[in-house]
Amino acid sequence: MGTTNKETFRPPAGTNHAARHRRLLCLGALLLLLLAGLLSLLVGKYPLSFHKALTGDGIHRQVLFTLRIPRALIGLLGGFALGAAGYVFQTVFCNPLAAPDMIGVSSGASAGAAFAILFLPASAAAVTVSAFAGGLLAVGIALGLASLAPGRNSGSIVLAGIAVHAIAQTLLMVLKLTADPDRQLASIEYWIMGSLNGITLDKIPFYCIVCILGLTGIFLLHRQILLLSVEEPEARMLGVPVGKMRLLVLLLATLVTASVISLTGVISFVGLLAPHIARLLTGSNCLSALLLSGLTGGLLLIGADVCARSVALAELPVSVFTSLLGAPFLLYLIMKKTGEY
Amino acid sequence: MASNPSASLKIENLRCGYGRRRILEGVSFCAESGGLTGLLGANGCGKTTLLKAICGLIPYTGSCLCGGQDLKILSGRERARRISYIPQRSGVRISLPALEVVLMGFNPVLGTLQNPSQAQRARALDALEAVGMASCASMDYQTLSEGQKQLCILARAIVEDAPLLLLDEPESALDFHHRHHIMRLLREITSHGDKAGLVTLHDPALALEYCSRLVLLKDGVCTDILAPASDNLSRMEEALSKLYGPVRLAALEDNGHRRLALLPRE
Repeated sequence: MGTTNKETFRPPAGTNHAARHRRLLCLGALLLLLLAGLLSLLVGKYPLSFHKALTGDGIHRQVLFTLRIPRALIGLLGGFALGAAGYVFQTVFCNPLAAPDMIGVSSGASAGAAFAILFLPASAAAVTVSAFAGGLLAVGIALGLASLAPGRNSGSIVLAGIAVHAIAQTLLMVLKLTADPDRQLASIEYWIMGSLNGITLDKIPFYCIVCILGLTGIFLLHRQILLLSVEEPEARMLGVPVGKMRLLVLLLATLVTASVISLTGVISFVGLLAPHIARLLTGSNCLSALLLSGLTGGLLLIGADVCARSVALAELPVSVFTSLLGAPFLLYLIMKKTGEY
Repeated sequence: MASNPSASLKIENLRCGYGRRRILEGVSFCAESGGLTGLLGANGCGKTTLLKAICGLIPYTGSCLCGGQDLKILSGRERARRISYIPQRSGVRISLPALEVVLMGFNPVLGTLQNPSQAQRARALDALEAVGMASCASMDYQTLSEGQKQLCILARAIVEDAPLLLLDEPESALDFHHRHHIMRLLREITSHGDKAGLVTLHDPALALEYCSRLVLLKDGVCTDILAPASDNLSRMEEALSKLYGPVRLAALEDNGHRRLALLPRE
């Protein structure tokens, strides 16, 4: 056997090139994301001048700091979080169709938001808090139910998630039936369609902190996430406490997803699409694929939000554009299906 | 090299099954360190079940001692440090460079948030080189052939450096060349005295060629234990015939070594 030591270690042929390629991809995506963030500051009904905003013009300053910057920030961070959470779900479940809302977070958040719109004092903060709680509650119930299954595994989590999703959808339907058709029903529908409209500075600190903490956990546990993709007996024999670790990473991914969609409403396809684009570009599931999933998610959400604000006189729901991108891509994946993942 | 008693595996009166269906009925044997022990038996006799029980993946009664330590009472992490397990087909299901798959072998000794060091990366590359796979280190594991995948998993077992190697039909998907290559490597790895290997095999000819001891299983019980290098042919013929029907063993001289060929008796 060879005796390569620390001093003489040379990465194998091709590794250096591949690593440089992945670094360049991440750097390029980061630059694009920052440019998209800047562009999103300029787009909107009110024509904004950076110069005026920074030299003290009251209205320009207010629009920039209380509306545009929070909106761009949530676009960047929210897209990044949805992309990274999508990577976690697809890797842990080894399922290319897995997405952050797979185990009920979106449907739970929707039911939570509808509940707040109908029964809590009219305030955007109440809707956000209720949606966040609804999302976490739904996932908590799904994971609790899955833990009751004999020989519990990732399959039982998915099935429990489907059951909770169905229950939350039924609850949502009941809430919609009791809603005032002119005002409350429209609010519920608009929330479900997802939008970055109405995000203001005062709403975001708590959710940003939760999201950043969750993302930090995901990046720190990246090696464990990869190990969870290995079949359970083998992963256990590699020293992974599979049940506990899977629960932890799914909770982290749920936390970041809930923190985003409680602010924005349901945003479809970003969590599904971004990891696929990242894997297509990097060719593997390494750490760079997780990072690129996040960056791509940010680009998708910011891009969709810029389109939502600029293609029509009235602002459109952001999910219209993420779905317009996502559905054809999904078809492309089906056509190109090679069995590799 | 003198054998290290701390690595030997001692199974005593092991009973286990799935639900109410009993598969193993009081199996006892010892797999000494410094050699490869083969586990032979027909389909459904309990070979894989035995390995799963030793790994703690299914409940059992009786005892499994590795170097005198009862494996049942160890935590999952401690068990992983003592056992390298190679399943029939690897459960790595996503695209990863082969080197990353090998690096997974360091997990039992790494902290949850810790990443492999440069020295560990160097050792992983050494292990790939030892199994003849250094040139595939940066290749996507999913694009490798089944034989290359098994070699990659064997490299992972090398970096795990556990005293006990358990292998479940590692040759089942391999061609003639890869079969012998992997068995040679296993014999070499376990011949250094500080490791014991237990391998389930379907091919008795491979077992006779590469294993120092053979444990014969039939209907969940251990029917015999053979030492191919020293047992006489008629005793081995008789024991193997109980498993596979009438067979004949022929001894061949090959460069001064006795090699055994197993033939069906007409």
